[in-house]
Amino acid sequence: MEIGFFKKLINVIVTKDNERLSDKSDVELVNLYTNKGDESAFDEIVTRYSDRVYGFALRITRNANDAEEVFQEVFLTLTKKLDTFRAESKFSSWLYRVTANASYMYLRSQKKHESNISLENYYPYDEKGTLMGKIMDKDWSSRPDITIFSKEALDIIDKSINELPESYRAVFHLRDIDGLSNEEAANILEISIPAVKSRLHRARLFLRDRLSDYFHEWRR
Amino acid sequence: MFMCKDVVENIMEYIDSELDLQTLKELEKHTGDCPECMAFVNTYKRMLEITGKLKDKPFVTPEVRNRLRVLLKSKIKPV
Repeated sequence: MEIGFFKKLINVIVTKDNERLSDKSDVELVNLYTNKGDESAFDEIVTRYSDRVYGFALRITRNANDAEEVFQEVFLTLTKKLDTFRAESKFSSWLYRVTANASYMYLRSQKKHESNISLENYYPYDEKGTLMGKIMDKDWSSRPDITIFSKEALDIIDKSINELPESYRAVFHLRDIDGLSNEEAANILEISIPAVKSRLHRARLFLRDRLSDYFHEWRR
Repeated sequence: MFMCKDVVENIMEYIDSELDLQTLKELEKHTGDCPECMAFVNTYKRMLEITGKLKDKPFVTPEVRNRLRVLLKSKIKPV
């Protein structure tokens, strides 16, 4: 009976501590780790940001093994350099920048740096500025949700994102997958806001075309 | 005159409701009269819905997470 009581008490304490930790802000967690060496605070940072760090690294490297190398490198770097974070920017933005830098550094070290093709001249209209005969034939917008959101369609869009040139891919991932603002994406990638908007615009045009081709072929 | 090209080049601001009233009116009038542009806007919106679904996709597998945990345990010295 007594043992049961203590077990329950410990569970309550542990649960309460975990709740408190998950309720803490990023900055509070950083301070707990850097000032007090609280490893559970670091664990919470890992839990909170694993998907975003790995997902962004995977988007830049396009290879699961490479992404894992970067993923590990980023969190190892954090154990040593978390105290260099200054709360002037959002912690998430800082971490994305660390991830981008680690990804590019890794690709350079592996001599996997890709040539950056520009999509600035990518647009669906003709030289007269019209879309005549280019879109309606492949209009898939009224397809049922079960088709639109099928696993195959999601795989196609994921694969198509990876066909984007690197600088467009990173912008698209931050804006349309991770839902960051133009300002945050510009800050992370150290480019201007108009450059973010321009790359996002061309990336979306490219992906809309890819999906149109896919659904058009699928109908046949 | 507002053309298909203008619909394409203003689509982001249109989706984000950032167009000035005059441009918005012209875009909607053109789109109402131009089935190609209507199809363009509709497929563009659907494309955003699909990419939005990728947000829910978990990237890190339990194996990847576990390997990181083991690595960190071996590298972090107890304080």
